[in-house]
Amino acid sequence: MTMNDEMLLERFPGVGINHDNKAFYYGLLDRKLLIDRCGDCDHWFHPPRPICPRCWSRNIQPTEVSGRGQIHLLILLHQGPPAPGVSYEQPHPVATIELEEQPGLRFTSTIVGTPVEQLKIGQAVELSWIERGDKPVPVFQLTGAAS
Amino acid sequence: MSARFPIKDQIAFASAATTEFAKSGNERTQMSMTADACVAAIRAAGLKASDIDGIAGSDTSPWARAVQAALGIPRITWWQNPSLTGTYATTIFEAMQAIYSGACDTVLCYHTAYRLPWQSRAAAADPMRRRVAQLSDMMGAVDPETMAGSVGYTAWASRYLHEYGRRREDLGMVAMNSRGNALRNEHAVMRTPMTMDDYLAGRMIRTPLCVYDMDVAVDGADAFILTTAERARDLPQRPVLINATASGMVDRNDEDQLPGLHDHGQQIVVEEMKRRGDLWIDDVDLYYPYDGFSFLTLSWIENAGLCKPGEGGDFLREHWNAAEQRVMYRGRVPFNTHGGSLSEGATQGSGHIREAVMQLQGRAGSHQVRDARTALLTIGGFFFNAQALSLRTE
Repeated sequence: MTMNDEMLLERFPGVGINHDNKAFYYGLLDRKLLIDRCGDCDHWFHPPRPICPRCWSRNIQPTEVSGRGQIHLLILLHQGPPAPGVSYEQPHPVATIELEEQPGLRFTSTIVGTPVEQLKIGQAVELSWIERGDKPVPVFQLTGAAS
Repeated sequence: MSARFPIKDQIAFASAATTEFAKSGNERTQMSMTADACVAAIRAAGLKASDIDGIAGSDTSPWARAVQAALGIPRITWWQNPSLTGTYATTIFEAMQAIYSGACDTVLCYHTAYRLPWQSRAAAADPMRRRVAQLSDMMGAVDPETMAGSVGYTAWASRYLHEYGRRREDLGMVAMNSRGNALRNEHAVMRTPMTMDDYLAGRMIRTPLCVYDMDVAVDGADAFILTTAERARDLPQRPVLINATASGMVDRNDEDQLPGLHDHGQQIVVEEMKRRGDLWIDDVDLYYPYDGFSFLTLSWIENAGLCKPGEGGDFLREHWNAAEQRVMYRGRVPFNTHGGSLSEGATQGSGHIREAVMQLQGRAGSHQVRDARTALLTIGGFFFNAQALSLRTE
């Protein structure tokens, strides 16, 4: 079944989806991490915006990224908002990944597959996907870790 | 090069007042506390309701129109409830501009802190607060995987410890300084002495920050009277002139996209304060480096140039006065004399400003710093609320 905007909003209740960022959420449902890239000057940026912050072009191309990068920011939540599969009995890692496509281009998610005490800023990671509720969620795992 | 800053020394605080703060067991409404602080500020300035022609609150406080109605202020020509995505300094800056432009002459400013149910068990137990929370925007549903909002400061504190190879004890020095000052302030909510061991034993909330790295939710209100320096000189309290102000923000200000620890709004603020004003850290008697999160104090003192990047903790140790259990910069200048947001209570900057004004007017009571004439305040964080102001008396 082909998704339309009405159905997209139903799949993501409470999320601030609009015409500038909807491609990102359509991408999630297809298990594709789409990051905005300028079709004129090739500049990547995130979160989605209606105009390229570098050249002001409106030719924005949500583009699939390789999913490879490094941990740039890392925290462990001992408490936090409720989410399916997140109990906080074990600290829940939240990590900002610097993506390999461009210095300073970052995406925030969690890290799976490695005990939290072994996670460190600077480690190489790659994209993976989990299901939360009824939706795919892009997450990361240490490069080379068994999936 | 000096900057164009014609408002320098033109606007003054005529008074400041507070309800004092509570972290539990309070049945007073926001309006009740706001009204008390406002009445106290107006009276301290030697004014009456009809002398006020401008009102400025904040977007988490009662609306200006409600405060006007509650206090029976008969006629105003300017009002605002600026957003706290800046700090409370935004309200002061807006009121200054309004007075300077001629939109009004004498502004009543106020800010109300009020615990919502998700902030503490005690707050959740008060059924009336659940209703208030439903009417505010502050309970938006979010996934855990975000650095947005206050979580972002934990993220960059973590990055700081990593980049400079530092330990949590550096953050602990900030928490201990706030607590040491709070011990002198009978109105502070956190008044148990705190050692480094106590700090390190604090419950972790978001590693690397624990409960003592985060400000304490409280109920209470602060209020201020701002007017022209000329008018303030005819009022009973010593005028506190606003020498310089600044705000700063860079383009990549999303919490997880920030360029780096030393490339954000605070550097702009520091640069502009030095260009616009006559007072910097070595010229003042009191310094208020914001401590809504412990890490922000380290960030401010490093970006203000008091020490090298990564050496904020060493700086605090070097200037630590063991007898007083607080920092005394060059043996003389205390930091966050009221106990800051960490130990007096979380007021989004209004407490730091109120304390500085009270000190400079000689009205700080139990913890008055003798002969304090000048103050520097660097308020807020670094994504979208880095701000500063400097104050002096004549």
